[in-house]
Amino acid sequence: MIVEESIYNIFKKVGKHLVRHGYNTSHSGNISIRSGGKIIIKRRAAMLGDLQLEDLVVSNLKEEDSSSLIASTELGVHRAIYLETDAMAVIHAHNPYCVALSLIEDEITCIDAEGFALYKKIPIIDVEIPAGAYYTSIEVPKMLKNYPFVVVRGHGLFAKGMTLEDALQYVTGAEQSAYIRYLTLMTGKPLKRDFSKEKDFSIW
Amino acid sequence: MKGLNNKILEVDLNHDKFNEVPVPEEILLDYIGGRGLGVKLLSDKLPVNLNPLDPKNLLIFATGPFGGTIVPTNGRFSLVTKSPLTNGIFYSNSGGSFSVVMKRCGYDGILIQGALKEPGYLLIEGGKEIVIKEASRLWGCDTEKTFEELKKLEGNRINSLMIGPAGENLIKIAAIMNDAARAFGRGGVGAVMGSKNLKAIVVKGGDTKIDIDNLDLLKKYVKVAQDKIKVVPITRSSLPLFGTSALVNVINILGMFPINNFQKGFDERATQVSGEEINKKLTQEHEGCYACPIRCGRLTRAGDMKGKGPEYESVWALGPNLGIYDLITVTQANYLCNKYGIDTISCGGSIACAMELQEMGLLKDSSLQFGNSNILKELVKKIALKEDIGAQISEGSRLLSKSYNSEEVAMQVKGLELPAYDPRGAIGHALGYATSNRGGCHLTGYMASLEIFAAPKKIDRFTMAGKPDLLVLKQNQKAIEDSLVICAFAGWALGLDYYARFMKAITGIDYDVVKLLEIGERIYNLERIFNIKEGLSKKDDILPPRFISEPLKEGVSKGHVVPLEKMLEQYYYVRGWDINGFPEPELLKKLGIKHI
Repeated sequence: MIVEESIYNIFKKVGKHLVRHGYNTSHSGNISIRSGGKIIIKRRAAMLGDLQLEDLVVSNLKEEDSSSLIASTELGVHRAIYLETDAMAVIHAHNPYCVALSLIEDEITCIDAEGFALYKKIPIIDVEIPAGAYYTSIEVPKMLKNYPFVVVRGHGLFAKGMTLEDALQYVTGAEQSAYIRYLTLMTGKPLKRDFSKEKDFSIW
Repeated sequence: MKGLNNKILEVDLNHDKFNEVPVPEEILLDYIGGRGLGVKLLSDKLPVNLNPLDPKNLLIFATGPFGGTIVPTNGRFSLVTKSPLTNGIFYSNSGGSFSVVMKRCGYDGILIQGALKEPGYLLIEGGKEIVIKEASRLWGCDTEKTFEELKKLEGNRINSLMIGPAGENLIKIAAIMNDAARAFGRGGVGAVMGSKNLKAIVVKGGDTKIDIDNLDLLKKYVKVAQDKIKVVPITRSSLPLFGTSALVNVINILGMFPINNFQKGFDERATQVSGEEINKKLTQEHEGCYACPIRCGRLTRAGDMKGKGPEYESVWALGPNLGIYDLITVTQANYLCNKYGIDTISCGGSIACAMELQEMGLLKDSSLQFGNSNILKELVKKIALKEDIGAQISEGSRLLSKSYNSEEVAMQVKGLELPAYDPRGAIGHALGYATSNRGGCHLTGYMASLEIFAAPKKIDRFTMAGKPDLLVLKQNQKAIEDSLVICAFAGWALGLDYYARFMKAITGIDYDVVKLLEIGERIYNLERIFNIKEGLSKKDDILPPRFISEPLKEGVSKGHVVPLEKMLEQYYYVRGWDINGFPEPELLKKLGIKHI
């Protein structure tokens, strides 16, 4: 299966955005889409901010194949997400503020207007070994059945979308909400108005 | 299941019998309600290869767990039958309040079989009576007159489904009208009702309460949903202000607004029939369905006539697709379609086909010229009454073109005329036309939301990658939305994550997005199996050759055709179907569908 140039351009754009804006380090993170019953995913150890056409690997969706020799280490998590949820694109990033808050909270409630309108809250899960495909491939899809993203405590965020850009907005939107929350927590002052409590996002 | 009455009304017109029939819980768990329930019942009960106009054909109207609750936009419901236009399964969807009253009368659905000896109408009065009444005086009346007469007979607080002269005359593009101006428009469903001598179905009264598992939780979810509907521009302002006709200018600018039977994709004059012009010149009032905060409906006045609409597809089908840009004439033709009970899309599509046949010198009727608005209103009447050339056009474009050995000028899939998006301008949308179980339809898997409206994000209109996968998701999504039942327009603001939460609060069952999608997949595959049994196959998953081999010559979609064969192969693979488009046995087993 040949990757169309228009698809490569989207990977390149999204990869560059993630690195340039500090969501990932030079070689971390992974991004993929579902296409023709297969997965197009970033190659392992490729520079996310400078993807070449050959850095995109086509892997089987349902069963293991030789692409795992070169595909992202977290191919298994992406595969599990596609098989168990409605995801059409997946991004794994290391959002600093989401990760920081995940170490002190059990869920990140959105208190900013954009966050509560679009996301309401960002769930956090614990996995036994946070970095690595096996445990995350079991726990992450469960949460993505009803949420667009989930933070693995101390590790990073997995976001799904209809398209790669859609997933990117969830990554950046989650980080923005986490950042606002972090800033208000840093002041140590109570919120004048907490929309999340008014709307009772705990039910979400 | 909570949220439902767990029973339908079975009406046997042959024997004047009415039975309350419980719906087994396992069917509701697997198919929910609405379209899903209708598809399951039709598949179980209808003999294979039955003539759709045989009295044994079924008309199944059904609502779902959202119907009559506080969930926004729940006033819609589904109709499932076998179509005389496509000879395959047909699902259709309409709004208003009929379904809410039907549910208050104690029924999640009405299944109608058999035929009356003389014209009659069915009255369902909640808690009081169910009866067939004679309707010979109504037979021949248009739908407006019929609705007026029914109100005189049964009181003003009624809701009614009815056919006009088109349905009575069994024309293959006849609609069932809903309170005279809404419609189960497509597929010739009006002819099925006409073949049963059933002029109307009236519902009124009823006080059955719907059991909700956790009303407080549902209220909280609904509040969040209503807030979202209020802030999303499409649901907040575009649809309420312009209705669906807001699309005219958008689609025309993209060079995929079909002109003269899809011979072109752009015409500057299209602005003359745009949503903005309708709003400025014709709109009198805005209105909405039951429990709808969007309110996309418009009461309009055009010259000496008044009515509802026209919607986007209607204004296109009866306007620019015929080379006509006179808004008053187009709107009046739309009103006439409603009065006679004709599907506006198939009406316009079939007239356009006749006009192209005339242009080719095959159909000898010089009045049938693109742009000749003088004939339009009279032609609608002739189609409904099967008079002169109208009789040929009333068969739909497929049969019309076949009679001139020129099937390539019929812009249809599986017999159903295509709607107002040139498939060369959005190839995922094109694949949706080819693979829709009910034929050339834009709603079955609305890829335009991604390819045109960037919802949730834009994807390239002409790129193949990912399109089959996204289309399968959209088709399964729509099947479940039509079964819950909720309006497609709510989807601009909400989505399955909301609907899963509503379902959890209503039924007490732990639904999630994936569980809902699996039900959608089951419904879609059962429809496919129904069609396969009826002889439909890969040969029917096609597009008119124009879209495969003739690039658009101007506009921003210039130069493009649809790479259908390649996308279809991937589509079958993603669906879990073999290379001939048959669902694989292991897929059917997973979904609990009996193998053929």
